[in-house]
Amino acid sequence: MQQILVIAKQTFREAIRNKILLIFVILSLIAICCSVFMPVVGDGRERIKIVESMCLRSITFFGILAAILISASSIPTDIEDKLLWTITTKPISRTSLIFGKITGFVYIVGVLLLIMGSVSYALIRFAASGQDVQNGKELLAREKFEPLDLQVTGKSVKNIGNVYWIEGGGNGTSKWDFEGLAYKERLDELEIEVKLLVESKKRYTKKIPINIKIINPYTGKTQVESIEVFNNKPASLKLSAETLAGSEKLTLVISPENPGDFIGISSDSLTVFLGKKSFEYNFLKGLTIISAQFILMIVIATLGSTFLSLPVNILFCLFVFFCGNIIDFMRDLSTVINVLGAHEHDHGISAVVNKPNTIAFFLDYVLKKPLLVLSYVLPNFKNFDVGPYFVDGINIPHKKVFASFGYALLYVSLCLPLSFVIFKRREFA
Amino acid sequence: MDNNTAIKTENLTKVYKGFWGRKKVLALDKLNMDIQQGKIFGLLGPNGSGKTTTIKLLLGLIFPTEGRAYVLGKSTQDVATKSRIGFLPEESCFYRFLNADETLDFYGQLFSIPRKERKLRINRLIDQVGLEFARKRSLRQYSKGMLRRIGIAQALINNPDLIILDEPTSGLDPIGTRETKDIILALKKQGKTVLLSSHLLSDVQDICDRIAILDKGKLQITGTIDELLSRKDVVEMLIRNLSDEAISEVEAFIKGKQGEVISIKNPTNTLEDLFLKIVQERNSSFRDRNKKGCEFDQIGSEAMSKGDKTDQLN
Repeated sequence: MQQILVIAKQTFREAIRNKILLIFVILSLIAICCSVFMPVVGDGRERIKIVESMCLRSITFFGILAAILISASSIPTDIEDKLLWTITTKPISRTSLIFGKITGFVYIVGVLLLIMGSVSYALIRFAASGQDVQNGKELLAREKFEPLDLQVTGKSVKNIGNVYWIEGGGNGTSKWDFEGLAYKERLDELEIEVKLLVESKKRYTKKIPINIKIINPYTGKTQVESIEVFNNKPASLKLSAETLAGSEKLTLVISPENPGDFIGISSDSLTVFLGKKSFEYNFLKGLTIISAQFILMIVIATLGSTFLSLPVNILFCLFVFFCGNIIDFMRDLSTVINVLGAHEHDHGISAVVNKPNTIAFFLDYVLKKPLLVLSYVLPNFKNFDVGPYFVDGINIPHKKVFASFGYALLYVSLCLPLSFVIFKRREFA
Repeated sequence: MDNNTAIKTENLTKVYKGFWGRKKVLALDKLNMDIQQGKIFGLLGPNGSGKTTTIKLLLGLIFPTEGRAYVLGKSTQDVATKSRIGFLPEESCFYRFLNADETLDFYGQLFSIPRKERKLRINRLIDQVGLEFARKRSLRQYSKGMLRRIGIAQALINNPDLIILDEPTSGLDPIGTRETKDIILALKKQGKTVLLSSHLLSDVQDICDRIAILDKGKLQITGTIDELLSRKDVVEMLIRNLSDEAISEVEAFIKGKQGEVISIKNPTNTLEDLFLKIVQERNSSFRDRNKKGCEFDQIGSEAMSKGDKTDQLN
């Protein structure tokens, strides 16, 4: 254990003395501070969103870059410079050496994250300072609830794809059930946010009124509110948390107010927010999730460094990170490349070209299967993306934090033993 | 394997393979070697003969293709045994951003030496290798000779039973070479075993008990210095205060005994002896010069080239 800490301390000291950490700190702070000067169209909340988004992206970018460059280069450089000759001939196992190096890398990236996170928080606070709280321009961390159940009823309801279309005037309704709506403060706000597709027989109409009936299943009390919604744009209704009156359940019934007006709904068209959590705690959770991906990248880069040369390892790590951010695209692409059984109603390249051909056949066997395999083998870095939470002002649930760490741990538990095995058999010629 | 054997190899072979696994170089071919404890063993050979390959196999830096090697009675892969081994590589490869203190402290920590003991050993070793004047400078600013000295110090930080030195005098000036040899001889007196690899034959001849000569990966010959180098058929006498007449009488006597006089001449000192004499005469003490920050090679070379007796430090 002591030797692991000795190697870790030495690795950290090397980053400090060779000014690597300093360079990353300077560059990242320049990028983060630039967010305050970005031009903004809109109200104060837009500025906060821009600053939050840029800060988080800068933290991720520079953190990952530091993780890759430092972790991918350390061991190959030590081998190249023959430093490992004088270290591995001491009573330290190669496993301890790897552990020590990884611990050192985590220290370095952790310090970088701490500095970037602190400055980002200060900048976000600065961007939010002087904003009008009552107009909702403060820092948000709302607790988000998704519907437990959606029921769509009525004669006029049509299902096209995944969208249910309901006509107004009492001909159709959508009913949403929510649970777990526990609030601590009476003054907490209950916010109902809808994002619907809208159509109207009155072609000149861009917005339509909808009715939202709020039913408390505990008290039986019903309240009806009306709001106007635009096509595919969010609209919200804010109520006091006392509407719940001690119940943790809520039922919402939504329908267009007028006949001739249609709303298209899917399961994610309605969201309920209740109360506001601490932004600071939310920011900390966000940084924790970001740090999980740094640790994952460090372990992957260290694995590569046990058997690859420095430039190849850096390319390997960049490839893994890049592909890990487009996993969904890779899976979609492999679905599109579909040769067998294609006809005019199927998706696929052969549907476009009308007959199977050599190129489509080639793509199917050479590209599709490897893409599919890679999409399941490589880590999905979208799992660590916390940007949408901050942009939409949503509290990050604890299970998301645990899930992110668990996901990272899964890959770490695979890559780490592999690193040990490979490095144990590595010759220092 | 008996307890007196420090190093033993049995048919130790190393073949370096190419990327596709095809044989490229036979670096070591069935080496059988025994090194007894408490002796200084010299490993000689031209470049590419397999000396460094042998050392790397003994230290577990590379793995044998065939055969086995044992160090201090254990396999070369045994981690615990390495706490009793000191190693000086051919090239001085240390973290250049550290200074001498930090370098020795780092290696000392890898041996789990307690802090107080570590500090004592660091002070003693830095003094012993003559780097007191430069202990706070980063190794980036060290000359090749200074790096060699710190290398020797890190090889001794754990007070090892077995010391493996690959070209220990490489890059050292004559004074540094002399001191290194003195250190090695002192280690032998302490009962330690030294394996020394070098192609500076005079250095090996001066201090080694036994030697082995490798060429193209094969062991060519092994034995003690006396066994291999002494000429039983020739007698050498060094005589002082003999007049020319007496010399002629001795020559005639030898011829009368059917002996053959090969040569009669005044012996010469070695260049090393002359250099050391001049430098040590000019300097009042070795350590005083170190404290004022001059390197011996600088003093020696300037004295030799200019013949100037002026004190450089003043």
